Amino acid sequence: MLAFENAPPFAAPLRFFLSAPLFAVLAGLLVAFEGPDIFASRWTPGALAATHLITIGFMLQVMLGALIQILPVVAGASLKNPLTVARIVHPGLSAGALLLAAGFMAGMPVLLASAAFVLGLTALFFLAVTARALIGVANTSPTICGIKLALFALAGVVGLGVFLALALAGGWSIPLMALADLHAGWGLGGWAGVLLAAMAYTVVPMFQLTPGYPARAGWGFPNFMLVMLVLWSVAVFADWPWLARLGQLGCALAGIAFAGLTLRLQGKRRRARPDATYRYWQLGLIATILALILLATAAVWPAAADLDGWTLIFGALLMAGGFLPFITGMLYKIVPFLSWMHLQNAGQAKVPAPAMNKILPEIGMHRQLLAYTAALALLLAAQFFPALLTRPAGLAFAAANAWLWWNLLGAIRRYHHHRADIEARLTTP
Amino acid sequence: MSHAKTPHVVDARYMEPPGPFVATMEMLDTLKEGEKMLLLLFREPHPLYKVLRQNGHDYETELLPDGTFEILISR
Repeated sequence: MLAFENAPPFAAPLRFFLSAPLFAVLAGLLVAFEGPDIFASRWTPGALAATHLITIGFMLQVMLGALIQILPVVAGASLKNPLTVARIVHPGLSAGALLLAAGFMAGMPVLLASAAFVLGLTALFFLAVTARALIGVANTSPTICGIKLALFALAGVVGLGVFLALALAGGWSIPLMALADLHAGWGLGGWAGVLLAAMAYTVVPMFQLTPGYPARAGWGFPNFMLVMLVLWSVAVFADWPWLARLGQLGCALAGIAFAGLTLRLQGKRRRARPDATYRYWQLGLIATILALILLATAAVWPAAADLDGWTLIFGALLMAGGFLPFITGMLYKIVPFLSWMHLQNAGQAKVPAPAMNKILPEIGMHRQLLAYTAALALLLAAQFFPALLTRPAGLAFAAANAWLWWNLLGAIRRYHHHRADIEARLTTP
Repeated sequence: MSHAKTPHVVDARYMEPPGPFVATMEMLDTLKEGEKMLLLLFREPHPLYKVLRQNGHDYETELLPDGTFEILISR
């Protein structure tokens, strides 16, 4: 019914979706374990480790898993052996994220270099197989154009990340802060931001029944972001701080425009009842706009970034407030949808699949959303009252993500239960 | 609903999957040889494209400024 033969096996994306929340749990526990000192600056070993557990362990994990699943649907491009790709990329990312976090915490060059090696090779492999699938695919939609540009940015963020990790491991003398900012720009803006927008063009109208993204904005956002990142990169290598700030300002304003447009489209949605995905996206969009206002302000007035907690609040708002809610909201649609699709196929048009809300009930998602929102509020408040709130914030963040994992696991348990039931009914005359 | 390109139109812009796919296949079944139908969507339906190609249908896609993809499909 849905061109099922295009779809990769469920096991291919699922391993990414089920392990991602565990990395967020680990990040929360690390914050709780380290306590108030972790937020002394963005450069503490704990803050660097927690950030990369989130960005690689959670964000990159889900994004690559989802791409393996969704490339045939949104771009008409199929990976040759999706299960094999998943079997290589998933352990690479998981081991890489753990090695990197351990490398930051222990300050051991051999761990940092190993992480750089594992993550570099994993990303290179993923880029090679996706490039092969996308060669010859015309840019017929802003989604396809966005995916291609995001993959280019993935090469950028990983390349810079590998270089930075090796530089730290080898004690090289490099402009660490400027390069780390640029690495974050390529990662959060070019890779995660552009990929999110490319997916949003397709999934926001599809799942939330909103109007479509206007074509000009659809083409414009990914291309503009990439131009800004290239300018920012040139600025770092030429040592022109004013141009770097211009690039940052451009990225921030483009992100605000995209988030604002998405909020406007959501306001015109035709689905009467807001579901967990919609609410997660609302949370994500508002937090992203606040984060990017901080970025834009610091680009215009650099002294702001030196204020206590400014950069940490920006990071918490953008990652824990923006990207994680976007991704969790999507997981809450993708996992029941894929379960339903695979059950529908297993039923061979003789036994119907159960409704999606039977696979992942709304109430469980909604309660987890409340827990996550409380954890986010604590995490932000901990920047102002670190001694009092850092440990509770870490524990709350870990608990909310453990709950996400439990919800997803429940969906998969129900999927297996229904699948066994369907197979039994098909074999019984 | 009618359209300048053809009187046979499926406006699936606010339908949840698999509604657009089902409605398109149902309308294709009602068309006579040589007739065309138009599918309106806010995304490109790549899985549908594949089925159309397998069944020997031609299609042309145009992206309008408001984000609507107009997919003109020949019987």
